[in-house]
Amino acid sequence: MSDLTCPSRHRQLTLSPLQQRVWLLAGLLLIAIIANLCLGAVDLTLTQVWQGLSAEGEQYFTVHEYRLPRIALAIGVGAMLATAGVLVQGVIRNPLASPDILGVSQGAGLAAVSLMTLWPHASIQLLPWAALAGGFSAAVLLWLVCGSKAPPIRMALTGVALAALYSSTIDFLLLTRPLDINNALLWLTGSLWGRGWQQLYTLLPWLILLPAALWLSHRLNLMGLGDDSATCLGVRAPRVRLLALALAVGLTSAAVSLCGPISFLGLVSPHLARQLVGGRHQRLLPVAMLVGAVLLLIADLVARIIHPPIELPAGIMTALIGAPYFLWLLLKLR
Amino acid sequence: MSLTTIDTATSPRRAAGHAYGWRMLGLLSLLLILAWVGLFAWSAIPLSGTQAMQALFSHPTAQVSDVVVRQLRLPRVLVAGLVGACLATAGALMQGLTRNPLASPGVFGVNAGAALGVALVSTYAGWMGVMGQSSAAILGGGVAWTLVMLLGAAWRPGADKGRLVLAGVAVAALCGALTKASIILAEDQAAGVLTWLAGSVANARWTVWYNLWPVATAGLLAALALAPSLNILAVGDEQARNLGMRLGWVRLAVGIVVLVLVSASVVAAGSIAFVGLLVPHMARALFGIDHRKLLPACCLLGAALVMAADILGRAVAFPSETPAGAVLALIGAPWFIYMVRSRT
Repeated sequence: MSDLTCPSRHRQLTLSPLQQRVWLLAGLLLIAIIANLCLGAVDLTLTQVWQGLSAEGEQYFTVHEYRLPRIALAIGVGAMLATAGVLVQGVIRNPLASPDILGVSQGAGLAAVSLMTLWPHASIQLLPWAALAGGFSAAVLLWLVCGSKAPPIRMALTGVALAALYSSTIDFLLLTRPLDINNALLWLTGSLWGRGWQQLYTLLPWLILLPAALWLSHRLNLMGLGDDSATCLGVRAPRVRLLALALAVGLTSAAVSLCGPISFLGLVSPHLARQLVGGRHQRLLPVAMLVGAVLLLIADLVARIIHPPIELPAGIMTALIGAPYFLWLLLKLR
Repeated sequence: MSLTTIDTATSPRRAAGHAYGWRMLGLLSLLLILAWVGLFAWSAIPLSGTQAMQALFSHPTAQVSDVVVRQLRLPRVLVAGLVGACLATAGALMQGLTRNPLASPGVFGVNAGAALGVALVSTYAGWMGVMGQSSAAILGGGVAWTLVMLLGAAWRPGADKGRLVLAGVAVAALCGALTKASIILAEDQAAGVLTWLAGSVANARWTVWYNLWPVATAGLLAALALAPSLNILAVGDEQARNLGMRLGWVRLAVGIVVLVLVSASVVAAGSIAFVGLLVPHMARALFGIDHRKLLPACCLLGAALVMAADILGRAVAFPSETPAGAVLALIGAPWFIYMVRSRT
């Protein structure tokens, strides 16, 4: 955590504003976790939750089998999507870019849905790989269609158009070969509904990509100076860009393969994090992960408790936060 | 209109008029054939073309084929056609009004806003009936459109077309999320929602048709009446003002007609995307840019497109049905990508 804080010139007991913000965020995460454990279709007290953590507890099933893996998954997926957003925005230098605006999420979702509808008996372990193939194809297609030097608006526009194509294909697949409807909503909007330990274990290996992103952060900082300066400072710009984008696609695809395309999370979290701690990637990346996790936890919580026992997909909640934010970004981008 | 006399006075124009007539005739016959095919093709109960004709033109009998054609298929085909005509005309009007080739009810969020209005009224105020749904659709579509125009800075000279489209996409995403949320919260069963959101005419019965046609016809006639003004709008604001046009009023009128057309079709069949984007460009390629000729052509082409999509939707996964809107989205999205590439 020492990377997060200011280089401390004089150690005092008072926290710098930056530290305060980070601690506030961590506190928020803790509160969100506790709220997620306690609230839901059945409201539990803290003691009940504590007892539920052990196998003899009355609420063992609710807490251990249902809420705990879901919380872990929300944190993991939120962090991954936020990291992917930071990486993409960092190397493309486009404030409107994020895996879901560029169509990578929907591409990954399309591949996963195709796998599930065309080969219904395939193992769940294959899903992230199929999603990965889809995500990479989507990224390559975007690059082929609009080139690497496209201005921000045009790139976002092409991505959105491609995303529309993928999501209409997902629609089409779901409507012609009906899965059960909750699965369908999952793939259309993104949701954590019915996810458990199995999905979490599928996700775990992919979490390796998060430290890999942190490892790139120094080079990402230099990339922010522009390709020429970065090259002068000893960074191989094309290679770093390719690596960062590949990481972003991998992170997005793994997250999407389990929870569906959760929209706008990868767009909003990096911007919020940047406002909190500035643009140095050593700080930005961990804080963005925190922000993403908190946002997804809150979105999922609201989606669960707004009208129990009916659950809204978390993707709807993130869209309600994210779409206005996107509009605001659009207004600011003159 | 003085322009009309100038137009028809010269002989090359008259020759062009003949070509236009023939093309319209061809389109009309295509439409009739599609309607006929739509009456009998891919039915759960096997029907033949002659049976469909008999059901239409002979005295009603209690035969199954007669009942199916008269009670299920005929209203469905008619609603599909009229919805297509409405959406295509609305798209042409919007493109004429904003001079933006990407303008259409789907892209600018009007569809999504109207769908949100309909969803809110039908889930939380069901007693308001079709009138309530239509007014909510007009209101929702209007608010969404205004929002997109304001956020995209549409009236500024040299406005960025791409920015406008992105604003439309974001507003549509917002409306879509709210629509889904309200429907899921109100009904446990989300299966029907998916179909309705994609836009389908599968449940169109005569009541839908009776609610649709008066509004739609009025809207289409009003659109035709506005065609000369749209032609003048096309030469630019300054010129149009010099020609004695009151820009504000014309824009308001066109906007209202668009909203009426879109909301009528959304209430009848859900939000069918891409017809409003696709058809005006096809029609312009075939019939030129004169709105007096373009708008009728848009009506016919749009009707034909939605009818064809409905037939395709039944054929793709027979005997289960795919919403026409899903088929159209699949056809329309690549076109949207092409448009984004070439026109921004």
